[in-house]
Amino acid sequence: MMMGGPGGPGRMLNTETERPKRVGVTLARFWVYFRPWWYAVVLTMILLVLSTVMQVLTPGLIGQAVDCYLLPNATACWYGTVDPAATFEDRAAGLGVIVLLLTGLFVGGSLLQGLAFYSMNWAGQRALRRLREDTFAQIHRLSLGFYTRNEAGNIMSRITSDTDTIQQVLGFALLSVVSGIMGIVFTMSAMLFANVPYALVSLSIVPLMAWATFYFSGEARKAFRKSRREMGSVNAGLQESISGAREVQAFSREAESIEAFRRANAANRDANVRAASFTSALNPVLEALGYVAIAIVVVVGSLSLLRNQPLFGTTVISVGLIFAFIQYVQRFNQPIQQIAVLWTNIQSAIAGGERIFGLLDEQPEIVDAPDAVVLPQIKGQVVFEEVQVAYQTGTLVLKGVSFVTKPGQMVAIVGPTGAGKTTIINLIPRFYDVLKGRVTIDGYDVRNVTAASLRSQIGIVLQDAFLFSDTVMNNIRYGRLEATDEEVIAAAQLASAHAFIERLPDGYQTVLGERGGGLSQGQRQLIAIARAALANPRILILDEATSSVDTRTERMIQQAFDQLLEGRTSFVIAHRLSTIRNADLVLMVKDGQIVERGTHEQLLALRGDYYALYMSQFHGEEEPQAA
Amino acid sequence: MKQGTPARPRAPGALMRAIRFLGGHKRTTAIAYSALIVATLAQLVVPVLVQNMIDTVTLASQTGGDIRTAEGLVFNAAGLILLFALLRGAFSFVQAFMAETTSQGLAFDLRNAIFAKIQRLSFSYYDRNQTGQLMIRATDDVERLRTFIAQGLVLAASSFLLLTGALIILAFTNLRLTFVVMPLLPIALALFIFFGRVSQPLFAVVQERLSALNTILQENLAGLKVVRAFAREPYEEQRFDVAATNLMAQQLRINQVFSFLFPVIFLVAQLGQVAILYFGGRQILGGTLELGGYQKFSLYLTYVFVPLGQLGFIITLVAQASASARRIFEVLDAQSEIEDKPGALPLPLLNGRVEFRNVTFRYLGTGDPVLKEVSFVAEPGQTIALLGATGSGKTTIINLLPRFYDASEGAVLIDGHDVRDVTLDSLRSQIGIVLQETNLFSGTVRDNIAFGRPEATEAEVEAAARAAAAHSFIAAMPEGYQTKVGERGVTLSGGQKQRIAIARALLLDPRLLILDDSTSSVDLQTEATIQQALDTLMEGRTSVVIAQRISTVLRADQILVLDQGRIAAAGTHAELMEHSPIYAEIYHSQLVKETNL
Repeated sequence: MMMGGPGGPGRMLNTETERPKRVGVTLARFWVYFRPWWYAVVLTMILLVLSTVMQVLTPGLIGQAVDCYLLPNATACWYGTVDPAATFEDRAAGLGVIVLLLTGLFVGGSLLQGLAFYSMNWAGQRALRRLREDTFAQIHRLSLGFYTRNEAGNIMSRITSDTDTIQQVLGFALLSVVSGIMGIVFTMSAMLFANVPYALVSLSIVPLMAWATFYFSGEARKAFRKSRREMGSVNAGLQESISGAREVQAFSREAESIEAFRRANAANRDANVRAASFTSALNPVLEALGYVAIAIVVVVGSLSLLRNQPLFGTTVISVGLIFAFIQYVQRFNQPIQQIAVLWTNIQSAIAGGERIFGLLDEQPEIVDAPDAVVLPQIKGQVVFEEVQVAYQTGTLVLKGVSFVTKPGQMVAIVGPTGAGKTTIINLIPRFYDVLKGRVTIDGYDVRNVTAASLRSQIGIVLQDAFLFSDTVMNNIRYGRLEATDEEVIAAAQLASAHAFIERLPDGYQTVLGERGGGLSQGQRQLIAIARAALANPRILILDEATSSVDTRTERMIQQAFDQLLEGRTSFVIAHRLSTIRNADLVLMVKDGQIVERGTHEQLLALRGDYYALYMSQFHGEEEPQAA
Repeated sequence: MKQGTPARPRAPGALMRAIRFLGGHKRTTAIAYSALIVATLAQLVVPVLVQNMIDTVTLASQTGGDIRTAEGLVFNAAGLILLFALLRGAFSFVQAFMAETTSQGLAFDLRNAIFAKIQRLSFSYYDRNQTGQLMIRATDDVERLRTFIAQGLVLAASSFLLLTGALIILAFTNLRLTFVVMPLLPIALALFIFFGRVSQPLFAVVQERLSALNTILQENLAGLKVVRAFAREPYEEQRFDVAATNLMAQQLRINQVFSFLFPVIFLVAQLGQVAILYFGGRQILGGTLELGGYQKFSLYLTYVFVPLGQLGFIITLVAQASASARRIFEVLDAQSEIEDKPGALPLPLLNGRVEFRNVTFRYLGTGDPVLKEVSFVAEPGQTIALLGATGSGKTTIINLLPRFYDASEGAVLIDGHDVRDVTLDSLRSQIGIVLQETNLFSGTVRDNIAFGRPEATEAEVEAAARAAAAHSFIAAMPEGYQTKVGERGVTLSGGQKQRIAIARALLLDPRLLILDDSTSSVDLQTEATIQQALDTLMEGRTSVVIAQRISTVLRADQILVLDQGRIAAAGTHAELMEHSPIYAEIYHSQLVKETNL
C-alpha cells in the first residue's frame, strides 16, 4: 500500500472541512469531468485490483517457503509432497524459486502501483483543468448583477481554495481509499470464508471505529468552521495592510495594526488548536480499538478452544485459526485508519465541488438569444424607448427613459448622484437588461444581437481605469489585439499618453504593477483612453472619464477626445462644463427620468433644473469673455 | 538608491531556519517530542505482545485439564494488550496534539512576522510585487510549512527512531542477517536525497504557476467590466487556459517523478524482505539458525521497512515545505530601502520649515529621472502649491517628504534635518497627509478618523469630522460613528472617503500638511463642501499642496510650476502672472474656480 503522495496525508487533517449535502449528485457531476478520460479511470481500477491481488498473494508464498523447505519435517505443500530426505541443495534451489517468484510479484506489484498512480493523476489533472476552465468561463458569462450580490473576493477565494481541496484529494487520497477498501474487502471475505460467527465477533469493533470517525471528524468540522471565519479576518487584515500600506506608514500606525492583526491571528490559531484536539484524537483512538479487536479475537477464540465449545454451532476454533485471525485483524486496521483520516478530506472535496458546481449552475441573466444575429457594422444611432430598469429589490432605477441620438452626435448626461446616469450608459453595451421598453442601435434591439458583436463596436472608458499587470504596450493593445506597435503608439499619442510613457523606465515595455500600480490615477486614465481609442469604436462611452486627471491633462484629453469623437456617437457623463457645452444633446436626468433635454443654450433658456444646476455649479467655471 | 532585490535564500537553509522558529515554543515542542519517543518505542513492544498472545494461546491449548489457569493466562495477556493500547493511545494523542499546537504557534509567529514586514516595506517594494503574490506567501506557504512542522517533521523523527530501534533489536537477534539488511539504508538515503533534489524545484514551479493562474483570475474579477466592454472574454479564456495547462503540465511532471519514486521505495523495502528470506532460509537449512529465530527476526524487519516506506511521503513534505519556506523568507529578508538609520534621532517638535536641495529622483533607481534637481524652501506656515501636468512630478515631491521614497540625489530637509537622519516614526507622526485615493480600514468610522491618534476623545473626533464637513453624512448612517466601514462594512463614496481622510488629518493637528486638493469622482455639491474643508485644514500650517483650485493658488505663498520633473517657474501668483507665460496660461484656462461663495 502506498504511504504518501504529493499532497498526501500531510495536508489532510487541517483542510477546512464541511459536510457535503448532495453527495450522489456531486459525485455524478465529477464523473462528467472524468468521462472523457474514462479509459484511464478504468485502467487505474484494473491496475489497482491486480496489485492488490499480488499483495494478497505474497504472505501465502512466504508461508509456502517455510512449510515446504524450512521446516525440518515438512511433508506437504502447494505442489505436492516434499521428500523428507531432500538435500540442502534441493531445498536451497526450491527456496530460490520461491524467492524469484516473490521478487517477480514485488516488482510487478510496484510497477502496477506506479502505473495506477500515474494514470489516476493523468486523468485527475485533466479533469481539474477542465473544471478550472469552466469556472473561469462562467465568471464572464455571469452578468454584472451577480457581482453586485456576491463579492468578487469571495468568489475568488471560493474558486481557488475549493479547487485546491479537490486537487489534494484527486490523486493520492482517492487511490489509497480505493485500494484500502479493496484490502478490507479481501480480508473480510477471507475471515468470513474461514468462520462466519468468529469473523462477525472479530469485526464487532468496526461500528465503533466508524462511530469514532464520524464523531471526531464532526467535532473537528465544527471547530474548523470557526477557524475558517477567523482565517477570513486574518486574510482581510493582510489584504488591508497591503493595499493600505501607504496610510499605515503615513500615520505611523504600524504598531497598532500589527497588534490588531496579532489578535485576529491568535483567534485563528486558537480555533485551529481546538480543532486539532479532535483530529489528533482520531488516530490514537482507532489504533487502540485495533488492539481491542486483537484482544477480542484471542479471548473469544481461546475460550472456544479451551472449553471445546463451537461458536454458534460452527466448528471449534483451532489454534491455527486464532493465529490467522490475529493477522487478519492487524491487516484490517491499517486501511481503516487511513480511510478514517482521509474521510474529512474527501468530504471537504465533495463540499468544495458542490460549491463550484453551484457557481457553474448560476444562470447568467444576460445571454445571447438563441436566434441572436451578428450586429453588422453600425452607424451609431442609439434609441431608448420607454426604458425601465429595476434593482433586485424591485425599486425602479429608470422610470421610462426615451431618447433618440443621430449617428455622430455627442450626448452629455448630467444630473445628481444616483439619478440613473450610469444605469443609462450600462444599457447600451447590454451590461444589464431592461425591465420594460427597449434599447436599439441602428434599429437592432440589443437583446437580439450577439454580445460580442455589440460590445466590440462600443468603446468604454470607465471612471476607475483598470489596468492589467502587463506591459503598457499590451495594456493599450487590449483595445484591439491585432494592432501593430505603431498603431498602439499612435493611439497613445492621440490620448496624450505618449510623453509620459516614453519617460517610464522601459517605455512601452514597462511592466505595470498590479492594477497599474506605479502610475498616477491620471496616467492610468490616459492609458485606458488610449486603449479605447485603439479599439476605434463607432460608439464611445465615457463615464466621468476625466474626473481624476488634473485640468491641464484634462484639456489635452479633451482635445484628443474631440478628434476621437469626430464622426462617432458618444455618451459622456461629465462634471465639467466644457464637455457639456460641446454636446449636441444634453440630457438632464433626475430621479430615474429625463427631466430636460436639448442643447446647453436651450436648457439654460428653460430656466429649470439644468439652469439651477448650472447656476450653482458651473457658473464660476466659465471664461469671463464667454459669459 | 540601492534596491532590495534579496538573494534567493537557499531552500534547505530556509527550512532549517523555519525549524529554528521552534525555539520560541520550547515547552510544547519538548512535550510533543518526549511523547513521540515514548509512543514510538512502545511500537517496538507490539511484536513482543503479539508473540506473547500467541505463546499464551499455544501454552493454554497444551495445558491439559486446568481450564481455569489457561483462561487466566489468556485474560492476563488480553488485559496486558488493552493496557498497552490505552497507554500508547494516550501518548500518541499527546504527541499529535502538542505537535499541532506547536505548529499553530509557529504559523502564528510567521504570519505576524510577514505582516510586520509588509507594514514596514517601502513603497517601491509594492511597485514591484503583487498583492496576490504576497497573500499566497502569508497564507498558503505558511500553511504548507506548518503542515510540515506538525506532521512531516514528526513523521521523520518517529521514522528515524523506529528504524534505529528496530536495527538495534535486529542486531541483537541475528547480527549476520542484520548485515544483509544494512545495504538498504544507504540506498534509501541516496534515493531520499536524489528525489528531494529533483522534486523541490518542481514544487517551487507549481507554486509559481498557481500564482500566475490566480493572478489572472483575480484580474478578471477586478477588471470584469473592462474585459466585457472590449468583448475580450475569448482572449481571457485563452490566457487562462494556457496558465491552467501550464499548471497541469507541471503537476503531471511531479506525478511522473512520484509514480516512479513510490514504487521504487517500496520495492527496496520488499526486496530486503526477500533477501532476508533467502539468506535466512539458507542459514536455517545450514543449521546455523533456528526457525523461531528467523520468525522473530522477520517480525522486527517490518519496523525497518515501514519507516523506509514513509520516505516518499516525507520527501514530498520536505520538498513542499522547503519551497514554501524559501518563499516566506524571501519576504522576511526583503530589504526595505527605507529604514531608520543606525543612530537615527527622533525629529524634535516641528516648526515646519521644508527644504528640497537639488533633489533628483528615479523610480526603482533606473530610467529617466521623474524629478530633476528640484530645489525650494517653504518657511513655517507657508503654503506651497504644486502645479503641472500629470506625470510632471508633483506626486513624487509629496512622496519624498514623509520619506515614502528616498531621493536618488540631493536631500530633503525638514527644520534643517535631513529626513534620512531622523526616525521614521517621529517624522511621519508630525506630517498630515490627505491623498486623492483614500483607503479605509475595517473598523468603525470613528476608528478610521482616529487612525492617526487612536486615543482621541469622542468630542475631538466629532469636532474633526465637523470641520471636515463629514459629520452630517456620518450622523445619517445607521450607527453613526460606530458604523462599520471597510472591506466588510458600509461602502463609502469617493467624496465621503476623502472627507474622512481630511478629518483624520485634522485630528492629528500636524505642523506640516501634504495634500492633494483635486477632488475626484464626486458630484459638484460635494466638491464644494470638500473644498471648504480643505481650506479649514490648511490654515496656519506649512502645506504642500497639489493644487487644482484657484483659491489654493491665490493663497499660496509660493507656486511651483512643474514640467517634466523640473521647476519651470516659481513665485507668488502676482509674480508669476507677470513673468511666466506658462503659468498665466494654466491660470486662465485650467484652474477650477470656486463655486460656492
